Amino acid sequence: MSAMSKTSGGGRELLVIGVFAAIVLLLPFWLPLLGGYEALATKIVIWALFALGFDILLGFTGFLSFGHAAFFGTAAYTTGLMLKHVSADIIPALAVSVSLTLVLAIVLGFLTLRRSGIYFSILTLAFGEMLYAAVLSIFQGWTGGDNGLTMSTKPTLLGLPMQGLNVFYVCAVLLIGGFALARQIKRSPFGLMLMSIKENPMRLEYTGVNVMAYKMMAFTISGLYAAVAGSLMVVYEPYVATEFMHWTTSGEIVIMSVIGGVNTLLGPMIGAAFMLFFENVVQAFIGEQWKLILGAIFVLVVIFLPGGFIDLARRVRKAMGHMVPSRRDNVPDAPGSMREDRQKGRRADAQLGGR
Amino acid sequence: MSEQALLDVQGVSKSFGGLQALTDVSLQVRTGSIHAIIGPNGAGKSTLLNVLIGLIEADQGHVLFDGRELRGVKPHSIIQRGIARVFQTPQVFPAMNLLQNVAIAALARRDGQFSIKAAETLRRGHAIYEEAAATLERVGLGDHLEEQAQHLARGDKRRLELAVCLAARPKLLLLDEPTAGMSRHDTNRTIDLLKEISETGMTKVVIEHDMHVVFSLAERISVLAQGRIIAGGAPDEVRGDPRVKEAYLGGAQE
Repeated sequence: MSAMSKTSGGGRELLVIGVFAAIVLLLPFWLPLLGGYEALATKIVIWALFALGFDILLGFTGFLSFGHAAFFGTAAYTTGLMLKHVSADIIPALAVSVSLTLVLAIVLGFLTLRRSGIYFSILTLAFGEMLYAAVLSIFQGWTGGDNGLTMSTKPTLLGLPMQGLNVFYVCAVLLIGGFALARQIKRSPFGLMLMSIKENPMRLEYTGVNVMAYKMMAFTISGLYAAVAGSLMVVYEPYVATEFMHWTTSGEIVIMSVIGGVNTLLGPMIGAAFMLFFENVVQAFIGEQWKLILGAIFVLVVIFLPGGFIDLARRVRKAMGHMVPSRRDNVPDAPGSMREDRQKGRRADAQLGGR
Repeated sequence: MSEQALLDVQGVSKSFGGLQALTDVSLQVRTGSIHAIIGPNGAGKSTLLNVLIGLIEADQGHVLFDGRELRGVKPHSIIQRGIARVFQTPQVFPAMNLLQNVAIAALARRDGQFSIKAAETLRRGHAIYEEAAATLERVGLGDHLEEQAQHLARGDKRRLELAVCLAARPKLLLLDEPTAGMSRHDTNRTIDLLKEISETGMTKVVIEHDMHVVFSLAERISVLAQGRIIAGGAPDEVRGDPRVKEAYLGGAQE
């Protein structure tokens, strides 16, 4: 873990954040060289923020949520409604969206975190779908139902029009802040507690730690990252598509995380960038069958690179003979951690039954 | 036993479906003592430990720790009151290194059951890691600080779990067969270690099959058979008790 690495000082941490900030801030300038475009850079940054938050739950804590679209979508709709009806300024819109999602995350966490592994995944999926159904039916009058929420508002930030590079820089600053926060969590006692939940929740509980409270925190923080991302999607393009709330959005964030490399923070962001780049740029070269190719890539990564793209870098370095020790002690993969969860569950059951 | 009892179990009963696992179990563990609970397989020893730490809730009876009721209290709160447990199957954090394993317990002691210490950075040399290293040294794992727990041999995992428990600095340490699967040499080392820890005044309850361990360690012994306490007292009294011989020693000792 980074906390244990030999060179982890405050200076090194600043360097990491600095390099990351430079790469992100210059994205609109180097992405076009690869065939991308400026607006795609904004979208990548937003989804990277979503993926970063998702890694705090899946990567650190080991809980695979299939319902994060609920947070992303709720915040998106709230932002849309705020911009349309209350104020074109994005600050109140973001504040209300994040607050509302916070309440939602606490309620959903309370209901779903009692189970782990596949049961948790199914519960989150079910609640996500319930919200999606509600958006299309009960709340149709507000949300625009199947058509999505349309508006003619031009969002602003303290009078500054939120267009083009302005939007990008707002999103980029939030991503850099989100990255620094996630890294700090990972290096802190709080992060160690989250990571030990994935390892052995039973041992943790019987070490005097309120496991449920830490799970709630991870779930909520992760939901808030998704909320900020969902809000920014509407700031970026003032329209709320119903798919923001759909389970396919939850599925996409899972795929991004897994192909990028869970529990590495950088990996899921790379996964997000890869997916968006593929969908928006590579697609044009491949033609109709691009989804088939993307599916094949996903399958190949899961089979041959269970640590994701980030693991590829490590393997290449190793293969090249640079015996640079890996800074990550573990390369967990989502299916593996679920399997472990179940084994741990069984072990706990055995303890319960054993006399 | 009129002296101070750190742990006072009063009339605890527990059944699983039709199986009566514990029947009216009462025992007192004196502060600072090493108390062994022995009995044949299936006697209810582990169930009793599980009741103590809240893993299983008793149907009847009371468990008083330091004079306060433990029944109905959440497991992590029970542990926070000053109890630690070594499980029969070593429970550690497999993909974490030994320092981290022990640091978690030290943090749980320092910060309580829940706290958001996100601004603090755990670097090499942090006080918590220094303390963890000293604790690991004490159980004889000082040479493996950065090794992953999952790569340890079973006996070493047990010692790691002991270090995790010691880092919590409990008043009462519950040990479920702490020497199972260990070589005689390692067993003797563990006995010495447990004796040494006792000098700090920590009270211990040990479940053990190995009579060598029981009679080298225990100051008091309670004998459990078919969910009932059938005898109790000092080791010599228990050794001579015909009921114990019949229920346990006669059959199980090789």
